[in-house]
Parts: sequence; C-alpha cells; structure tokens
Amino acid sequence: MSERGLFGLAGSFASSDALTEAALHLRSLGFREVEAYTPYPVEGLDEALRPCRPNRLPLPIFLGAVFGAAMGYFIQYWDEALDYPLNVGGRPHNSWPAFTVGTFELMVLFAIAAGFFGLLAFCRLPRLYHPIFSAVEFERASVDRFVLCVEAHDPSFELQSIRRIFERHGAESVTEVSA
Amino acid sequence: MNLIDLPGDAPVIEPGVTLRSLSEEVSDRVLRPQAPRWWWIGFGISLALFLTLVVATAWLFVNGIGVWGVDIPVAWGFAIAEYVWWIALASGGTIVSALFYLTRSPWRSATNRIAETMMLSAAASAGIMPIMHLGRQGFFYWLFPYPNVMDVWPQVRSPLWWDFICLLCYILMSIMFYYTGLLPDLATVRDQAQHRRKQMFYGILALGWRGSARHWRNYQSVYFIMCAIMAPMVISVHSVVGLDFAGGLTTGWHSTQFPPYFFFGAVISGLALVIMLTIVVRHGYGFQGIITAYHLNAMGKIMLTGSLMLGYSYVWEAWGPIYANSIADRTAFLDTIFGTYAPTYWARVTLNIIIPQLLWLPIVRRSEILLFLISAGIIVGMWLERFDIVIPNLARDWMPSYWGVYYPTLWDWATLAGSIGLFLSLFFLMMRFLPMVSISEVREIIAKGETK
Repeated sequence: MSERGLFGLAGSFASSDALTEAALHLRSLGFREVEAYTPYPVEGLDEALRPCRPNRLPLPIFLGAVFGAAMGYFIQYWDEALDYPLNVGGRPHNSWPAFTVGTFELMVLFAIAAGFFGLLAFCRLPRLYHPIFSAVEFERASVDRFVLCVEAHDPSFELQSIRRIFERHGAESVTEVSA
Repeated sequence: MNLIDLPGDAPVIEPGVTLRSLSEEVSDRVLRPQAPRWWWIGFGISLALFLTLVVATAWLFVNGIGVWGVDIPVAWGFAIAEYVWWIALASGGTIVSALFYLTRSPWRSATNRIAETMMLSAAASAGIMPIMHLGRQGFFYWLFPYPNVMDVWPQVRSPLWWDFICLLCYILMSIMFYYTGLLPDLATVRDQAQHRRKQMFYGILALGWRGSARHWRNYQSVYFIMCAIMAPMVISVHSVVGLDFAGGLTTGWHSTQFPPYFFFGAVISGLALVIMLTIVVRHGYGFQGIITAYHLNAMGKIMLTGSLMLGYSYVWEAWGPIYANSIADRTAFLDTIFGTYAPTYWARVTLNIIIPQLLWLPIVRRSEILLFLISAGIIVGMWLERFDIVIPNLARDWMPSYWGVYYPTLWDWATLAGSIGLFLSLFFLMMRFLPMVSISEVREIIAKGETK
C-alpha cells in the first residue's frame, strides 16, 4: 500500500548498532525497499539490507583494464609495425618488450576510469536532488546520525507499524519524507 | 601495533574529538567566510612566485631555451632535473595515500588528503617542465600517437615517450583517484554549509552523494581497487623516469639501478614534503586533535626507511663506476665527487643520508621543528641529487674533447622559483576550498574506538 506524495518514513538513530538491528528486524518482517544513510561505511549494513547480492563493480574495472591494454598495445603496434615502420638498430617492427610500458599505462588508466565512472553509474550519480535530502535529520547523517528510510513503494509499507519498529530500536526521531 | 616507542604511544586521535566536532571543524576551515591571515600571507608569496613563472615562461617562449644555461654538452639542465624532482614529490603523495591504504595504517587516514593535494599540485609543476624544455613548445602535441596528415608518429620504443604516456596517465588517474576520495567529504561540507551559494557550490561538487548503504558499498570496493592500482602505477611512473636516463649511453646514466634508485628518492622526498605540509596544516588549521604526534612519528620512520634505501642506491652508484672497467664512467664519477660539482654531491649525501639518521632517535621524531628542518633539508638535498644526476654526467661525457661546464642563468633560477610558486599557489587554493582531512575515514577510526 503506497501513499501519495510520500517518499517514505525515516528514522534517525544514534548508533550504527541500533540502525543495523532495526534494518535486520525490518528485513525479517519482509520489507524490501529499505535504505540506510550513514556518515561512514558501516560493516555488514548493505548485506543486512540486501543479502546475497554480488558486488558487480569489479567487472567493469576488469573490462576497462582489458580494453585499455588492448588499445594501448594496438596503438603502438599500428604506429611501429603498420603505419610508420622504421628500422631502428635492426629491431623487429613489432618489438613487444618496448611496448609493455605504454600497454600497462593505458591498462591502468582505463581501469581507474572504469572504476570512477562505474562508481558514479552504480550509485546513480550525479543526481543533485533526492527526496531524502528533505528529511529532517538527513543533514546529520553526514555527521553523527544514522538514518534508516523505508520507501513508500515497498509493498508492505504501512506508517504505524514501521514507526513502532523504529521506536522499539531506539530511534531518536521518526519523520515522514515527502516525495 | 607492537614495536612502538615513545612518540608512537601518542593516540591516533585525541580522546576529545567526536564525530560531530570532527565534521564541524574540518568543514569550518573550508566554509569560514574569511581566510586566516597566515593563509593570505602564504598565498600572496606563492602568487608572487607564480608570477615569476609567468614572466620566465613568457621570456622563454619569446627567446627560446637559449635564455637558460643549457648548451652542448650539457643540453639537459634545470628543467629536466626539476621535472624529476617534482614528479618524485608527486609520487610520494601517492605512496602515502595508496600504499598505506593497502596496509591499513591508521596514520594514513588523517594525512592522505594532504598527501593527495600535494600530489596534484606537484604533478602540475612537473608537467610544465618537459614542455618548457622542448624548445619548440607549440609542437608538444606531436607526442600524442594519433593518425595525422603529416603521416608521422612518435617513436614509441623510446623511454622518453614512455615517460610522456606515464605522466599523462598519472595525472588523469590522480585526478579521478583524488575526486573519488573527496566525494563523501564534499557531501559533508554541503550539509554543513549555511549559505545558499556555498550549499549550491558544494552540492554540485558532491554530485548528490547521499552516503547510503549502497553508495558506501560501491565506494569501498572501488576505492580499494583504485589504491591497489595506484600503488604499482606510481612505482612504474617513477621507474620510467629512471629509464629516461638508463636508456641513454651517457656516462653515469647507463645503469640498471636507476628505476629503483629514482623510486627510493620519491619515497624520501615525498614523505619529507608531506611532513612539512602536514605540520603547516596541523598548526595553521588547529588540527592538533586529529593529526597527532603519532602521525608525524610514523611518517618520520618511513622517511628514515627511504633514507636508508636511498643510501643503498648511493653505495651502488659509487661502486658501479669504481668496480667496472670503464675509464669514462670512473672519470665522470670521480669528477662528480671531487671536481667542479663536488659540493652538490657531498651536500646531497649529507642532507639525504647522514642528517636523516637522527630520525632513529624518538626524541627527534617527536619534535616538529626538527622534523620540519630535516624534511626541508631532504627537499633541498633531493633537488641537488637530481641536479647531480643530470648535469655532471653530461659535462664529463666519453671524450675529453666533449667536456664542458654548465652555469645556470637568472632565468633558470626564475623557473625554479616559479615552479615552487605554481605548486604552492595550487596547494593554498585547495587548502582553502577543499577539506584537508579525509573526514569519512577519520570517522571510522573514531567509531571503532581505535584511538590507539
């Protein structure tokens, strides 16, 4: 049951342990659209919210590295062996040992670039506005508060029961977040 | 965490620092409407030095590199020595940030932002040097391998081209690495900002970072991989700088020890500059609670390690020419240590190897004044080392008929002063507008209660 004009219900906790317990409790009750906002990475929190989800980010980084290495080698091969073959001291045109540095550098460059842009893509950034920004305690979620938000499009979303769960785990404040 | 002596017993973070005071203090230095007086003095001096660079560069572009002291036989002068010097300082920043993230060293969290800011500023100073040295600066883009109507390509078998591609990739990667680490802290500054314009400015820079569990999980896995890539990357960058020399047949250069030799120099000189800047930021911004004697002690130890590694290279630098059966190499080396350039040789041995041995004493590692002075000595000593590698060897080439002496001109010195100005101007600007301590990483230390 989702309510109009409502993004979700947010509870603010004073400690990461209380937040993790509340998250686990919500999860065990069948809530699926739950997100936590914390000032620093809390170990095991993402696994508590979304268990058994593999981390896919290393894959684009690996693909970036493969692409960079292939491109790095190809540019040098094209240059030295195909387009502008120049005999230097009788070395073979495709002198691969001399190409290793350029290959390595482009490999790591593309790996880092894939990591950087992959991070933004996986985090859905840049996104300058998000409904959670209007939550009362959100500004302290980057300081010393731990905010848990059940989003309204969760099939089992129901204000009263979630509010009770938040309060049972010691939430300092519970606020409705408008969409 | 054993093996700790007196200054190492200092806490990683003072007990009074809380999550809240940390965020507020670090953000306040960025958000306060008026910069402190020392900042304006420092930035003013830096800007004046930077203007020297503008004038020196303009004079160089108008007149050509004849305004410098470079000539035949010494065709590589200050610009190349300073390129190596700056890139070593930049590399030192990456070493502190990436290598010691992988070792999970607790002292790295409060100092890595200073090290990374230094890395970017020093990389800018390094990057201009080879371009100025080119002589025909407008054609520097010929280094890029791209299909063109002239139908010519760069010679990619040359270490000089490897060096170009290393530097290019290094700067691009450093910017992405820096920005990734900065993202959560920019969000903190955004949330702390009270004025609309600052909220918008940092809001745009933070790209909408929310610190959600999903964000943190992706962030942590990317940041770890980035560090694991940057650490070997920076070793490759400075080793390839060494290959620029080792690939040449000049006396004293054609040596297999150059790549590690140059890397050891990067460790010691980078750490020295990080220590100096850390002391400035610590006192200037009042971060005594976040950056403690523990950090300075740890960095002093690593600087000492760098000094020992460099000393090992100095031994081999001497042993090679004396043991090998090459009269030219031996002559060039003996001339380096006893001839015209003897003062620079003995000065660098003193400043880089002998004086840093004081760091064995815990009392020296505890004293910020001594650490600052030893570090400043190392920075100067490393400049002399780069000078000593480049110039005396060219001045004593294989044939005595080819010998000569190099005299720097006023414009050489102006370029040196100007590159320092460029570095300091960039550093001061970033110090004013970006958080100088990695807030989110120090938070983890506070949260885990790792005050020791």
